[in-house]
Amino acid sequence: MQTVATDVLVIGGGATGVGCLRDLAIRGMRAILVEKGDLTHGTTGRYHGLLHSGGRYVVKDPQSATECARENAILRRIMPHCLEDSGGFFVTTPWDDPDYADRFLAACHATGVAAQEIPVAEALYREPALNPRLSRVIEVADGAADSFLAAHANVASAREYGASALTYHHVVELLHVDDRVVGALVEDLRSGELKRIEAAWTINAAGAWAGRVAALAGVTVTVTAGKGTMVAMNHRMVNTVINRCKMPSDGDIIVPIRTVAVIGTTDTPVPNPDVYAIEPEEITFMLEEGAKLIPGFASYRALRAWAGVRPLYQEEPRLADGLRDAENRDISRAYKLLDHERRDGVSGLISIVGGKWTTYRLMAQETVDRVAQRLGNNRPCRTHAEMLPPPADEKPPTGGDASRFFWLGKPLADVERAADYGDLICECELVTREQVQAAIDGGAANLDDIRRDVRVGMGPCQGGWCIYRTTALLFERIANAHDGDATRFAAAIRNSNAALLHFLQERWKGVQPVLWGDQLRQARLDELIYVGVLGVQRLGDLAESGDAVVTDHPAIATERLE
Amino acid sequence: MGAGDFIERSLTQSLDHCIKCNICTTVCPVAAVADLFPGPKYVGPQAQRFRRADQPVPDVSVDYCSGCRACNMACPTGVHIAELNARARAQIVAEQGLPLRNRLIARSELIGRLGNGPHAPIANWALRQPLMRRTVEYALGIAREAPLPAFSASTFRAWFRRRERQMQPARRATQSRRQVVYFHGCATNYYEPHVGKAAVAALERNGFEVILAKQNCCGLPLISNGDFATARRYHEANVRKLLPYVRQGIPIVGTSTSCTLTLKEEAPAILGLDGPDVRLVSAHVYDIFEFLCELADRGELNTDFRPVECMLPYHPPCQLRAHRIGLPAVDVLALVPGLRLVESHADCCGIAGTYGLKREKYQIGMDVGAQLFAFIRDSGSDLALCDSETCRWQITHGSDVATQHPIEILAEAYGEE
Amino acid sequence: MTAYDTIVIGAGLAGLIAALRHAEQGQRVLLLAKGYGTTHWTAGCIDVLDAPETGDDPSAAIEALTVCHPTHPYASAGLANLVAALDRLRALCEAANYPLVGDLRRNVRLPTAVGALRPTCLLPAVMAAGDARQLPRAGSVHGTLVAGFRELRDFFPPLLAANLAVQGYAAQGAYLELPPTGRKRDFTSLTLARLFDQPEFRAHVGRQLRRLVKQNGYSHIALPAVLGLEHAPEVVRDLQAAAGALVFEVPTLPPSVPGIRLLRVLERAVIQAGGRLQIGAFVTQAKGRDGRLESVSTAAAARQQRHHAERFVLATGGIAGGGLRAEPSGELRETALGLPVRAPEHRAAWFSPRVFDGAGHPAFRAGVAVDRRFRPLDLADGVAYTNVVVIGAALAGVDPVREACLEGLALATAWAASDIG
Repeated sequence: MQTVATDVLVIGGGATGVGCLRDLAIRGMRAILVEKGDLTHGTTGRYHGLLHSGGRYVVKDPQSATECARENAILRRIMPHCLEDSGGFFVTTPWDDPDYADRFLAACHATGVAAQEIPVAEALYREPALNPRLSRVIEVADGAADSFLAAHANVASAREYGASALTYHHVVELLHVDDRVVGALVEDLRSGELKRIEAAWTINAAGAWAGRVAALAGVTVTVTAGKGTMVAMNHRMVNTVINRCKMPSDGDIIVPIRTVAVIGTTDTPVPNPDVYAIEPEEITFMLEEGAKLIPGFASYRALRAWAGVRPLYQEEPRLADGLRDAENRDISRAYKLLDHERRDGVSGLISIVGGKWTTYRLMAQETVDRVAQRLGNNRPCRTHAEMLPPPADEKPPTGGDASRFFWLGKPLADVERAADYGDLICECELVTREQVQAAIDGGAANLDDIRRDVRVGMGPCQGGWCIYRTTALLFERIANAHDGDATRFAAAIRNSNAALLHFLQERWKGVQPVLWGDQLRQARLDELIYVGVLGVQRLGDLAESGDAVVTDHPAIATERLE
Repeated sequence: MGAGDFIERSLTQSLDHCIKCNICTTVCPVAAVADLFPGPKYVGPQAQRFRRADQPVPDVSVDYCSGCRACNMACPTGVHIAELNARARAQIVAEQGLPLRNRLIARSELIGRLGNGPHAPIANWALRQPLMRRTVEYALGIAREAPLPAFSASTFRAWFRRRERQMQPARRATQSRRQVVYFHGCATNYYEPHVGKAAVAALERNGFEVILAKQNCCGLPLISNGDFATARRYHEANVRKLLPYVRQGIPIVGTSTSCTLTLKEEAPAILGLDGPDVRLVSAHVYDIFEFLCELADRGELNTDFRPVECMLPYHPPCQLRAHRIGLPAVDVLALVPGLRLVESHADCCGIAGTYGLKREKYQIGMDVGAQLFAFIRDSGSDLALCDSETCRWQITHGSDVATQHPIEILAEAYGEE
Repeated sequence: MTAYDTIVIGAGLAGLIAALRHAEQGQRVLLLAKGYGTTHWTAGCIDVLDAPETGDDPSAAIEALTVCHPTHPYASAGLANLVAALDRLRALCEAANYPLVGDLRRNVRLPTAVGALRPTCLLPAVMAAGDARQLPRAGSVHGTLVAGFRELRDFFPPLLAANLAVQGYAAQGAYLELPPTGRKRDFTSLTLARLFDQPEFRAHVGRQLRRLVKQNGYSHIALPAVLGLEHAPEVVRDLQAAAGALVFEVPTLPPSVPGIRLLRVLERAVIQAGGRLQIGAFVTQAKGRDGRLESVSTAAAARQQRHHAERFVLATGGIAGGGLRAEPSGELRETALGLPVRAPEHRAAWFSPRVFDGAGHPAFRAGVAVDRRFRPLDLADGVAYTNVVVIGAALAGVDPVREACLEGLALATAWAASDIG
């Protein structure tokens, strides 16, 4: 068995985990991250993409609001290429308490969240699709974040500092020496091999799955999975984040991100973060709520629905008193750093639970502060000051603020500049052959990973054309690697078939809740292509997960139905 | 929600109907011959998801859309592709400005006025000189080979007024109850008054008094060159001028399929103009054969035709197809004894208004039209028919066969010289 | 203006063949269609019925179906109408120099662009050598070369060849060099088809194939279905002569060149027979009285255009074709005439959670119910219009994609419905 030694092991490849990895690496600690699926496989890859201004929390959770406002400013500085500076409105609709806006403004002031009321007419001029019956509009610094890109940028930066991140590595057990956690035994889901990772400290950043990791150390951490369902609409009917000006609730926010507008969310506790369904009522409810913000909302085309699970930490009642020590008091209620040595008498393990994407960096900072202190590392955190590297094919941002941020037309401008529209694999999202191949070479284990990396299959046709193409490219890359080895070549085609069928099934889960109108027509055309023209349903016996392709491992199933 | 919002939404929101099937690309005459144009799906509903009014224009290839609307016709889901493209081009123009060449060719009225009149022969002679055309190509980017029409020595309006003065007393006696406004457009006025004369004759043969209302350029060349601000002014002026007539229920009949389409639909939809007046005018505009067809449906068409023994190739222009009214010229002319039209099934002649005049697009236009030119030449006829003026000039240019508006044949069948 | 005997709505295979049939009977026929559709999306073959239980004999499967599922549209259409329609189509394609081959008693299995084997009944002659029974098996001295172009995004030879190989066929994939053309980028299936119509282009490809055949002894060559738009049989003949092996087309992702070829054959035939096509005409209104449909209106610029006829044929297709559309509320409607649609009552029952559920998805069996004469039924099972027939994928009780009967259903019902009334 392969054994690796490191200073810190990070479990979880979501925003928090990759944030910790980068912070550790910058401070000079050796660190390895393991993620059972792809980066952002869990909640990070399944959220609506809002970069909070803090506005959403000013009344309900002022401390979070302040944190969000501060972190918003930092993230704009360190990762502009992952963000869209869309701005946000909090709007009072006829269904909302008109006085809430005053409370809201006062709370913004108190929490340091920049907010300014603007005339309704101006808001309508800037966003003509908005409900003309709005009574008040308050502008805030909301934005949209590409959480996939950001995670990759964090890992790329961490790697530059010598850290490593292992995806498709599932923690089978935590290694113990007496009451001390000293690393983990992990399974490489691609090869089936087991690896020992020995670490002085282990950070449990597994989000909604943190309870399961903690249990491996015999520690109880209760993380409730709060299912949040979202619907992506086919195009951006607004270019500004639109929030209802009221206490946060279901279906009250529309986030324009990349080519789509996402409406979210619901909040339903589910017992198992891997097992949940999207209920038709949730969709109906959100479309109805959407219509309060944008009249005729349901008549726009919905692309797909999905859900993420919020990691909601529940304080253990019996331990609550013990936790009220000096060190924990200053930590926000929105997230929680659990030092298991103090809390449970198990050393070497620290859990970071709760939180939101916007504050991932701060959560990482506080976590790493604690670990660094234990390891005797006293170098200060620098993640707030050091820019994240943009992708290799992108020039570092220059010029003023505006050009630094991601802008909607960028992918089209890139394709036009290179005139490589004849080489688009995913035509909806303008993904070129080169980009797909880079994603495959970058270690994608299935087509869903490629989707996350480069947005293949995320547009209107939901993979109707591009997934056949991407499967073929995936196969060509795997097969080339096995040239001459007949058995592995035969496995390569079976793996590729499995990847194709897996993706089409995953996509079906997402589109099924929103199949009417144009999207139903699209789904039927896609069926005509895959069943009628290609006959992929006949490949079932020729499909097998394995080698580099991972499709059906129970450890990584999300949104599973039972 | 007002009707205006509805038009607006049905246009921009129509991108939601796209199921990416690429049928539009298979019928696009430009994409078939030029790889500078990635096709209607790409520049239309696909690119639209990446455009934002308040951000830099991300694309340039949409400029190669000729606006022929073949895509709209073939799209099974109802995406307003050509309109989306026209808007995208306007955004480019708004950002980068309109080149002098496009500014010039978009002002058909201005050019008409400059070249028209007693000096027309000189202007025509000058524009036939290779050196002059080379200079024009160099200075303005108008292809030296491109078909430019000859200016008429006298405008249609001048002819009509003269005639009106002569006829006035006689006509007042037999004043017909029925009136129509004739929308002649720039081409008839400055280049082809004979089309207007034929239209007037045909309408009068059906007992209509033809009114020559004040009017200006419909603005289509401006729309297709992306100058929306001026196009809006033009359309609003036309609406003002035509409103008094349509309020009395007087229909507006035109011989230029592109002018009538602009008044009916293009200006309101693409320019986002709407309102009761715009709609009222739009609802009263007819292509002349559409109008005659409706007469026939009501049994009111004068069918006192004399035989015209010939078989003529007929090209229904893209702009006519965009009216979505079938082939009214074929239907009406079928009633003329001896006359047979052979319909071209070619896509497009390639000119698309001013598209094929441009240096960088001239060859694309000629390649697009090749199929049609072959059809016309192979017909062996020395005359072809087509409802749209720029298409007629292009057909003649590409096939060396004289081309007339079908109304001219109808007038002949009515016994006009 | 013309008074039509029959108005056909829809320009898929069903609508076109119905228009042709009526025009050939001497009727004045107008075909209205919103746009093109299914012909551009399918493989360009004539799928009659997947028939695994009758030894790949679709005619026997249809007879069995007539007994077991008397409400299936095939049961109403009857085998004889299918045979007649297939014969007519064959004759038409033959005359257009685009012959179809195949036998109603035996399905052929053809490789798809992923390398699965799909059943079909009649196929263009240019695909005939792809019959899986004839393809060399592993261990044979011969083999199949699957060749294509990197520039074409809708066909990938290595994937196809590898899936044939795991099914026991001797097959290898290769990319060819694209012959020089004036085009630099953006090669769609249709652009390539137009290029293959040019003799120099295909000669260049032929030389490359010859080299590969000489090196590896291939007996069969699979190429993407882009071998000419107007001259496919000639292109295949030339390539075979040059390469010294049998050449066959494999359908690509849409748009389908073989489908467009079929469409063109049919469109020309309808026009030849005196019918008129109005593409881009979206039927938005229907007016009827006393159980008869009097007129339909299409959306024109600034107004509606009304069309009168004695008889109407609704061939607007299913959900993909646009004949049926679902509302967010979970209601399916027939889009042209507003006929009642038979569908699972609740949206919850529309789909199976497994995308490739063997039984398909109930929503895709939704459609208009008809009587034995293909006249649409209202919800009380009375005839909604006595002078309307509904044909093709708009019909209830069949999933033409899952049953692999899209074209057969279109032809049989079009033929049957134009014989009646």
